[in-house]
Amino acid sequence: MLTPMSRLVRLGSRQGTGVDAVLTTTFASDDIVALRDALRGALGTVWQELPSTVETTWRERWEPLAELGLPGFCVPEARGGFGLRVDAAVTAAMELGAALHPSPFAGLTASAHALAEAAEAAGSSGDPVVGGLLDDIAAGARICAFGRLGPDGRTARLVDGGPDADALLLLDRTRDELLLLAGPGDWSGEPSRHGFDITRTCADVTVTAGRGQRIAAPVHADALYELLLAADAIGGTQRALDHTVAYTGQRQAFGRPIGGFQAVQHRLADHAVRVRGMALLVHEAARQFDAEPRSQEQALAQAQRVRRAVALASLSVSSGAGHILHDLLQLTGAIGFTWEYGLHLYQRRVHQDARLAANPRAAARSLADTEGWTDAH
Amino acid sequence: MRTDLEEYRARVRAFIAEHGVPMRGEGVRVPADADEERAIRRWLRALYEAGFLGAGWPVQWGGRADHLPQHDLVLMEELIRGDVYRPLDQVMLASHAIIEFGSDEQKAQLLPRIRGGEHVWCQLFSEPDVGSDLASLRTRAEPDGAGAGDGDGDGDGFTVTGQKIWSTDAQWADMGMLLARTDPSVNRHAGITAFVIPMDLPGIEIRPIREMTGYAEFCEVFLDGVRLGPEHVLGEVNGGWKVVTSGLASERAFVGANSLQLERMFDDLVALARAARLPDGTAALEHEDTQATLAEALARVEEVKLIVRDTVERILIDDEHPSDGPVAKLAYTETNVALTEIAMGIITSSVAIDEAGAAVADRWYHNFLWGRALTISGGASEIMRGLIGRQLLGLPRA
Repeated sequence: MLTPMSRLVRLGSRQGTGVDAVLTTTFASDDIVALRDALRGALGTVWQELPSTVETTWRERWEPLAELGLPGFCVPEARGGFGLRVDAAVTAAMELGAALHPSPFAGLTASAHALAEAAEAAGSSGDPVVGGLLDDIAAGARICAFGRLGPDGRTARLVDGGPDADALLLLDRTRDELLLLAGPGDWSGEPSRHGFDITRTCADVTVTAGRGQRIAAPVHADALYELLLAADAIGGTQRALDHTVAYTGQRQAFGRPIGGFQAVQHRLADHAVRVRGMALLVHEAARQFDAEPRSQEQALAQAQRVRRAVALASLSVSSGAGHILHDLLQLTGAIGFTWEYGLHLYQRRVHQDARLAANPRAAARSLADTEGWTDAH
Repeated sequence: MRTDLEEYRARVRAFIAEHGVPMRGEGVRVPADADEERAIRRWLRALYEAGFLGAGWPVQWGGRADHLPQHDLVLMEELIRGDVYRPLDQVMLASHAIIEFGSDEQKAQLLPRIRGGEHVWCQLFSEPDVGSDLASLRTRAEPDGAGAGDGDGDGDGFTVTGQKIWSTDAQWADMGMLLARTDPSVNRHAGITAFVIPMDLPGIEIRPIREMTGYAEFCEVFLDGVRLGPEHVLGEVNGGWKVVTSGLASERAFVGANSLQLERMFDDLVALARAARLPDGTAALEHEDTQATLAEALARVEEVKLIVRDTVERILIDDEHPSDGPVAKLAYTETNVALTEIAMGIITSSVAIDEAGAAVADRWYHNFLWGRALTISGGASEIMRGLIGRQLLGLPRA
């Protein structure tokens, strides 16, 4: 299991089975492989069988997942977390995406990270509200969702998990601050317009006047949120692709498996290559968080590298995954078109992953910036 | 390790700066004239003599005991960076085939001549009706009948008749590796033999083919009653299929240099967008739609770089999956084509290219056409997709 002090050691490639042999080819450390296996066990992920219904009672089963350390992958060790193990967070997000898990994991991880960084900065004089929330998040007793405050400073559109969360952390990008809403009646949510992705809940949030407390935004919180959304999408896409490959290998037409027809096989080959590239970009972005900067200069350079790597991964996944899933729906024919079959749930979810981060456009703009194209006059 | 490699890179770079012969265009290998040919041969010999090329060969034949596969990657990266003439695939494959399957006499005779820049090689594989489906080749090497095998030198030979095509460099190659059918009565893979032949034998006629790029890189080769002896057989008679499919140990890490190639292509794309003027006088790069297109292209390039890096890492620990090569080739060559198409879109959408970008635009026109060579040769994309479908996805043969 993942331990705070575990070192990442390259142990060589791990040819797993199913989707792991086929699609993920990065070198994974022992603890990441163990985490992945533990999550699959806990989530009941059985390859080839897609969930066709949405879990509605996930909160009742959240505590055991919290015990695996899920909320604390990006929380400093001093606060009971694992440091900044973005690789572990990415692995978890991919598994949760593959399982269509309803938790707002990306936002929860970004929130926990931000709250812990704030608590660290405040030291022993830290805010008991923040400290208590952190403890509850770690224990799995409370869920904190993450969102972005709009220009009016009062509303946040598209807050994943917003309708049911116990607390909200809203990023105010104009002031590099976060607004923490942890009390009853601190906000109201309007979920009615966000029903396309039925695997999770989402709401437009209005902050109750005068409520909330402001804390400084740590440098990585937003990038973390965006990267984990991409990881969620690629995890789901991998599983849907793996499932479709298996389906086309079995489904017979004209006396042979349809996966033996080039019109089908070649598209799946293209998708497999593309999905491998996307997954590698997501893992690579996670790696960029790892270096510990020693000076302010290094920290700035690292923040820039992180921003670029996250934008690359987000752009790639947000513009590619939905397209691939739409083609998988075509390749599975009428059965894939049914509600029961469940492929559409992935299509809905990767759409929402992109939308939550305002991608692909936001990532493309971010890259135009980091590459220096925006001052091309 | 890292510092050793960096030191190696510095030495390669200095060597290239001193001796390198400039490349005329992506994929242009045939010398323009006798002067360039002499320069190229001298340059290739220098690479071997300095121990940069052929370093992975057995020590007996000039290889180095301290050679690492990473050295090959560093070499190819620096050749690309320096825009200098690169070693020929056909020569490297011939080298490894001779090392693996050649007799002691063949090795002693042929390998030193490769190292000396004396022998340029071509491949005589494809035929007018035989491309990706190589095993159906029809060129006949008829074994002599009566008196065969009596040891007097007569009757142990072959008479070759047929036509080969798409033979890159055949017009200036000294030697060719030929695949021909020696036994038509057995199943199609079993009756093929590999030969190593001088290209100036009587009965060989070579006609260069002008390609759509305007260059003439490959040729038709007519073989009309060409007489070969047993000394020309590489490996065993009727064992030629093994020679071409044995996954010859070669400079596999060269694949890693595709990353650098794509990176340079992408820089060229940005340079083009900077130089392309729209009707209102602004540069294409100033516009958000162009930036968005470039950002997407950059993400694709970075995907391919990671796929290639992953492949190289597995090559270095000798843990490749059979589909790794096809995945890397498909990703690289198709992304390359995608970049050229974006470049064409930038050019057609502009009314003028700044003087500073004229050479860049010319390069893109060439690369746009040349890009198709990459997706067709060395296993067409359609073949790669089939290999990926079967070997990676486990789907049935199409």
